[in-house]
Amino acid sequence: MTNYRVSADIGGTFTDFVVEKDTGQVFTGKVSTTPNNPALGVLSGLKELIPTPETIDFLVHGTTVGLNAFLERKGERVLLIMTGGVSDAYSIARGDRKELYTLKYRKPERLVPRRDVHEVRERIKWDGSVLEPLNREDFDPIIEKINREGINAVAICFIHSYVQPQHELEARKILNKALPNLSVTLSHEIAREWREYERSSSAVTNAYIAPIVERYLVSLEKNVRSMSVKSTLHVMQSSGGVITLGAAQKKPIYTLLSGPVGGTIGGVALSNSLERPNLLCVDMGGTSFDLSLVINGQPEITSETELEGLPLLMPMVNIHTIGAGGGSLAWLEAGAVRVGPKSAGALPGPVCYGNGGTQPTITDANLFLKRLGSGSLLSGRMTLDEEITADAIQNMAVEVGLDGIAFAEGMLAITNAKMADAMRTITVEQGIDPRDFSLLAFGGAGPMHAVWLARELEISEVIIPRFPGTFSAWGMLQTDVRQDLTKNYYCPLDKVMSDELENRFSELESEGKSALISEGVPDDQIFFLRTADMRYIGQEYSVNVEISSGNDLEKIEHIFHQAHYTRYGHSTPDAPVEFVNLRLAALGRLKKISGPTSVTETISSDPVIGTRNTIFDGKEQTTTVYRRDRLALGSQLPSPAVIEENSATTVVPPGYDIHIDQLGNIVVTPGAI
Amino acid sequence: MDKKINPITTEIIRNAFVSIAQDMNATLIRSAYTPIIYEGKDCSVALLDENGDVLGQSLGLPLFLGNLEICVKLIADKIGWDAFKPGDVFYMNDSYMTGTHLNDSTIVTPIFWNNKRVGFTAARAHWLDIGAKDPGAPMDSHEIYQEGMRWGPTRIYESGEPREEILDFFKRNSRFGYGLIGDMNAQIAACRTGENRFQAVLNRFGHETVILARDEIFRQSEKLERDTVQNIPDGVYTAEGTLDDDGLGSDPIPIKVEVQISGDEMTVDLAGSANQTHGPINCGFAQTISAVRVAFKLLVNPNRPVDGGTFKTLTVTAPEGSLFRAQEPAACAWYFTPLGLLIDLIPKALSDILMDSVAAAHYGDSMVIYVSGQDPRKGNSPFLSVEPTPGGWGAYKTGDGQDALINNVNGSFKDLPIEVYENKYPIMLKRYGFRTDTGGAGQTRGGTGIYREYHMQTSSSLYLWFERSLTPAWGIFGGKDAAPPDVVINPGSENEHHLLKASALPLQANDVVLTQTGGGGGFGEPWKRDAEKVREDVIDGYVSHDGAEQDYGVVLHDDLTIDKDATEARREAMGL
Repeated sequence: MTNYRVSADIGGTFTDFVVEKDTGQVFTGKVSTTPNNPALGVLSGLKELIPTPETIDFLVHGTTVGLNAFLERKGERVLLIMTGGVSDAYSIARGDRKELYTLKYRKPERLVPRRDVHEVRERIKWDGSVLEPLNREDFDPIIEKINREGINAVAICFIHSYVQPQHELEARKILNKALPNLSVTLSHEIAREWREYERSSSAVTNAYIAPIVERYLVSLEKNVRSMSVKSTLHVMQSSGGVITLGAAQKKPIYTLLSGPVGGTIGGVALSNSLERPNLLCVDMGGTSFDLSLVINGQPEITSETELEGLPLLMPMVNIHTIGAGGGSLAWLEAGAVRVGPKSAGALPGPVCYGNGGTQPTITDANLFLKRLGSGSLLSGRMTLDEEITADAIQNMAVEVGLDGIAFAEGMLAITNAKMADAMRTITVEQGIDPRDFSLLAFGGAGPMHAVWLARELEISEVIIPRFPGTFSAWGMLQTDVRQDLTKNYYCPLDKVMSDELENRFSELESEGKSALISEGVPDDQIFFLRTADMRYIGQEYSVNVEISSGNDLEKIEHIFHQAHYTRYGHSTPDAPVEFVNLRLAALGRLKKISGPTSVTETISSDPVIGTRNTIFDGKEQTTTVYRRDRLALGSQLPSPAVIEENSATTVVPPGYDIHIDQLGNIVVTPGAI
Repeated sequence: MDKKINPITTEIIRNAFVSIAQDMNATLIRSAYTPIIYEGKDCSVALLDENGDVLGQSLGLPLFLGNLEICVKLIADKIGWDAFKPGDVFYMNDSYMTGTHLNDSTIVTPIFWNNKRVGFTAARAHWLDIGAKDPGAPMDSHEIYQEGMRWGPTRIYESGEPREEILDFFKRNSRFGYGLIGDMNAQIAACRTGENRFQAVLNRFGHETVILARDEIFRQSEKLERDTVQNIPDGVYTAEGTLDDDGLGSDPIPIKVEVQISGDEMTVDLAGSANQTHGPINCGFAQTISAVRVAFKLLVNPNRPVDGGTFKTLTVTAPEGSLFRAQEPAACAWYFTPLGLLIDLIPKALSDILMDSVAAAHYGDSMVIYVSGQDPRKGNSPFLSVEPTPGGWGAYKTGDGQDALINNVNGSFKDLPIEVYENKYPIMLKRYGFRTDTGGAGQTRGGTGIYREYHMQTSSSLYLWFERSLTPAWGIFGGKDAAPPDVVINPGSENEHHLLKASALPLQANDVVLTQTGGGGGFGEPWKRDAEKVREDVIDGYVSHDGAEQDYGVVLHDDLTIDKDATEARREAMGL
């Protein structure tokens, strides 16, 4: 009997599957997403792809249920309770302007209107001591309102609860005694960090999506069990690790961005197996271009992000999004040609889809230049209209005195340069030189543009992984179970008692260990990653440094100076340093398929499926078109070349060497001249 | 010879210019030493061409809009355009030249390519301390000599070699000399980033193509602006307001703007505003021009990047010796206070003809509170807290003014979280919230101001700079004015007192300081506001039950449902 490891990445339109058999074979599948109950799509995919569901060893999925509820503002009504006197800190939202040249600036709309923000009297001081005990009577009118108005979710955020959570815990007891079914989120349980606006916003977001995510997970579990899947079900977290469904229900916010991070984690896995410590991972789809970094084999993890302008304190893989994709529109202004950031979206979509679009997009330019074939998409199940595309491009080209070819190549050149510029700025911010990286490109449009991006950034190697269109799902199979824990620890380094650090980390580790054990991770597969947020005294922002190597303070200080130098370009070895937070990632290693995996289709058939007169640099060039799944491992191809597969098309212009490596990746490097 | 350039190449080069400025900014923010730069974003960088015109600019602070090219031209005026050498670095901070306070320090470097001077890079940043009589920027200076060291255009690196004696002078004249040198190096690093990136663009496209692209980019920008200004009806439009005082207890300070639109040209004349003042609210002309450009940008093509073609349609005039064109020895430490009002007045002047674009006034100034002292929790180590305070913004035709937002001359400033504040300083923040009924009533409502209550845990000194009590945010088109700011020491006690400005006022443990900022003005007649919206504001607490009745004529029952008959009667009376 074959055993399976299965991942499902639930996207807006399609749910992607990647299945690994214990024989080492890998295959992919795709079903339509069922937006009303995404569990049904997962179920039908499993039925279609897996003959023996009872032998599924591992099932993980990335869900957008919480994210969609958030983006569409369809979450649960939340009532927020804060410390008496200062509850407006949530609605003031720190008072900053995110756009500078407008008289009409509006702050991002918060999830809880001021009328649903309530106060109770209590006050804890900065050092955790109680200044004013929790006033129980203040809950009476709140409980009455919750009952009267049928509110199901409450978030609680008290000042300094990250040092002393006692009042938040008491408050939950009081509420749950009166209202046993009420969903209560405590801010210190979501993010044990200072900054009351960011922490309350995180707690509110958790409360806002909790009931919806819970209903979905319960439904998924029930459905999957009904088809006799026995293994524990896992969910991808924004941090790049997985957790069990049960754990996900406690902190649904941690799964908010679970889809896109799969690609980065796939990048980490490839980084290790290819011995390429530094990867720029680019995921280009229809409307957006996501960039993430793998540095020294590790994903770049941040502890804070903003979504739709609302701050969230939660560990997540850092993904930078740029508004450029296959759907980006060309437009004219004062005799100038501009491309994007506006996108044709799903409707009408690119001109070539024939759904009424008239304004050329990047996809149209690729088709016009024959880099994309009219039957390239979805294995020819969708035919692209070359004639109306050519009209649209030529009409716009005439207005600025260009021919269609120059205009279409120009659109791509503008977009590629813009994406490369944005990538460069992000790497400059991080103190990184892109030339030290390989470019890993995936997503539907990534492999079509990757070589040009690499050229702009002087990157010498492009890697197109297998299944670029479902790479995020593949990445989910490469993860560990992960629980992130934080302890606020505001203390100058020279005031730290020698065993204090060890004691605090030990506490976190025992907390993390019991969480993983309850997730079913065997004792001997648990390991920990200790980090600390540190900074020079007087700074506001901190640098997260890994300090797993021990508690030698001198050494930690040295690591901090080095990390500061890398990030900011300077360090001040004689300046005093302080801790802000201690962080622990508790990781549970999962069994993965080892050794090279093979492609599914037999390789005997001819990989060449035709030729096209593709245009590069204004000239038509006869270009061989290959079918990717027929390319033998280890083979070398000349350029120019177009390599087609179900989910993506790779385009390589003249002047490059193409190599299919032993894992099936396409590796493109500049050719010898 | 009329060479044409391919529009594709132009667009790639245009995007590259914008991106180079962003890379420079990223370098500066990444390497700066002091939080006022990397967190307060009190900085600006630009890439300029061989004539000192802007190719790309990236801004932290709106007030530095289109201000760096002036520095390049001033340096060239002094040393001559041919005197620049590869590896030179220039410095300047003279308020009467750069326009701002002396803390704002500008670094300029020439760019050479194939032995030819092809452009400049410039980076400005706020240096935390430059040796003024008090730390930071003094609140009660009355001549510039009290405000720190003052430099005209000065070569601080010559052909790549630092002039050590000058850097040594910098260091010796700052209370935070180490950080000052670090910030200066960050600015130079930002300039180097811009230089390298610009040279890469020249290597790829060649100088001739880049020049052709530049001319075309400038032409596009100028045309788009001229088209917009052309659509504004011709005429002369005026507005005026007053500042409370000059910071040293003077009489109110009048500010007057006259905007003339003629075809596709806009002229802003500031004659009629006060002469330069004794107190530190004077401004160099260069910065006045920048502030007018901010106001212009708020109304004309706000989303377009700035380059050498921008602002060609705009002329600014002010008489010498007025506070907008201050001369030695006028004090300039709080130069931005009149600029906040100036930026409010220009939309006001144009409101009748640009009804869709303008807004009522905002609360007006940075509303700064400093507290200094020694922290007994940390071995009596010295502390200094510095905070601007948010307030209400003006309503506009299609929307309510934003409640509790930072003022127009500030960048992306965020308030200090209570939890961070209480950890850093021996002060408790016991109350922080919206001031009900402080937004100007109107068909669309002005944003509300805020209150913030500081409880001293130890003896300390208080500095305050609160403004715009005499000209609080005005309403337009029948909208009402907003409430003014007010600061109260020990509210509700027998020694309660009110004030707006203070310098080193001694406070004891348990003293309370309540700061309160004003709201934004309303837009349109309040009685025309949708009664349901008024009711919503009452439910959310931005407007009180009484305020709804008195200001809006909306009468609510105790359960907050609308008393329709009473409301109709009351509103009819208001409309008469």
